[in-house]
Amino acid sequence: MNALTTRPELRKKIVLLSITVIIEGVAFIFFWSVLRKTAATHMQASSASRTSDALPNLLSDLNLILPMSLLAILLGIVCAFYLEEWLSSTSWIRRFIESQVAFLTGIPSLLYGLLAVIIFFGYAGVFKATRTTFQHNTALFYTEMLIFILMVIPVAIKATQEALRSVETPIRESTYALGANRWQVLTQQVIPRAFPQMLAGGCRAMSQAFAAAALLTGIHIWSHTTGLRGLPDRFMLFLGGALLLSNASSFLTEIYVPASTQQN
Amino acid sequence: MNYSIETENLSLWYGDFQALIDVNSKIPDGQITSLIGPSGCGKTTLLRCFNRVNERYGNVTTKGKIEVLGKNIYDADVSLPELRKAVGMVFQRPNPLPISVYENVLFGLRIHSPIRSMTRTESDQIVEEALTSVFLWEDLKDNLKMRATSLQLEQQQKLCIARLLPLKPKIILMDEPCSALDAKGTGAVEELMEILAGTYTFLIVTHNMAQARRVSKECIFMFLGELIEHRETQALFETPEHSKTADYVQMRYG
Repeated sequence: MNALTTRPELRKKIVLLSITVIIEGVAFIFFWSVLRKTAATHMQASSASRTSDALPNLLSDLNLILPMSLLAILLGIVCAFYLEEWLSSTSWIRRFIESQVAFLTGIPSLLYGLLAVIIFFGYAGVFKATRTTFQHNTALFYTEMLIFILMVIPVAIKATQEALRSVETPIRESTYALGANRWQVLTQQVIPRAFPQMLAGGCRAMSQAFAAAALLTGIHIWSHTTGLRGLPDRFMLFLGGALLLSNASSFLTEIYVPASTQQN
Repeated sequence: MNYSIETENLSLWYGDFQALIDVNSKIPDGQITSLIGPSGCGKTTLLRCFNRVNERYGNVTTKGKIEVLGKNIYDADVSLPELRKAVGMVFQRPNPLPISVYENVLFGLRIHSPIRSMTRTESDQIVEEALTSVFLWEDLKDNLKMRATSLQLEQQQKLCIARLLPLKPKIILMDEPCSALDAKGTGAVEELMEILAGTYTFLIVTHNMAQARRVSKECIFMFLGELIEHRETQALFETPEHSKTADYVQMRYG
């Protein structure tokens, strides 16, 4: 590739970067406004709807976390298979999803925990002091669902992709050259070899979820003692910084593919 | 004379880069044909067209016609598994699967036949036949449970040839089959090719001109994606028609 053909590559990168920044900027401003409104109205709502015994609380948390993480990890694995085995490495869908996955996995789980608090309080704030256990649980459910989508699935996708890539090319090449179809290559050679790593990736995704859940609990307690004073602005400052940096790094590593590696 | 492979105005692009330019070639039945030329001239690309493994890289555009065993392989009704069963391939680095020698030989057959369609005695016999025809049976008959990746490189490469044989291919493509082997291994693989040449059509890519001269009956010289010259090996090396061929075979460059 000569210098002339690398220019459109740069242009494409800049266009994609600006589109993502605009989308994320809108989301950012939206969250900020929701946060400022709800943090102020919610502070007085109590958590009286939950029992103070440890075991029922733990069980109800696990009842939510375990099935959801299994579902999320399965979805992540299927998505990773599609990206890695069905799409070509130059497909723009794959490059876009990979850049977003890199971006989402680059955010520390602390920030997801905080995000969960905002969404949870924001949702629950609608009911204010009159909320019932059912509404409380519904808020918890939607919060968990969002956090799982944002956090567990990207980690699962990334870990599965890495596991699939760790299976050496000669194994795939020779299997394909013997006339195997994609399904046979996957089930007979690739999955048995990638399975341990995929499992490890699943554990990593789960650990992310638990870390965020732990933070959520901590923040929950904190909110009752301090009323979350000053949290919204500080939180948005850090979240904004993390978003920008993480975005930049993911664009550098995923979107911009050096011209020399695109061709065989 | 019958031809196993015929190409007509075959052009191929990787993205914007044209790797093959109007290649017209005819590979005769039942003998060894070698492809020579400087690095990056499209030898391997041409070879990989014949069982369509290069499609896996994505971003590949092919134009023109390739007939393998009298059938255009870009027709809609061509089944890739059947094509690759008929056109076997041996790679530059020996790449047996990391399973036992026994399973390696049977792997190809297993993916093409229904589960449990072979009895133990049948499969034993198939493994013995395949390994015998590549002269590995004596060395390995007591170690069939051994992991194939722990064999010597030469044995691994022979095993890669052996695992094609139960599929009864018509054509065997070899991409620099000896470049990872030492002189003894190279000799053994060449000898094997010569013995098998009557039964199968061999097409080999090689950088080693001495090897092309030793083993092949016909020789194709390629340069920057174009087929420059295709003649009997002896004639191509001694009285090249084209000046580029002469420069290359007399090692003035490349």
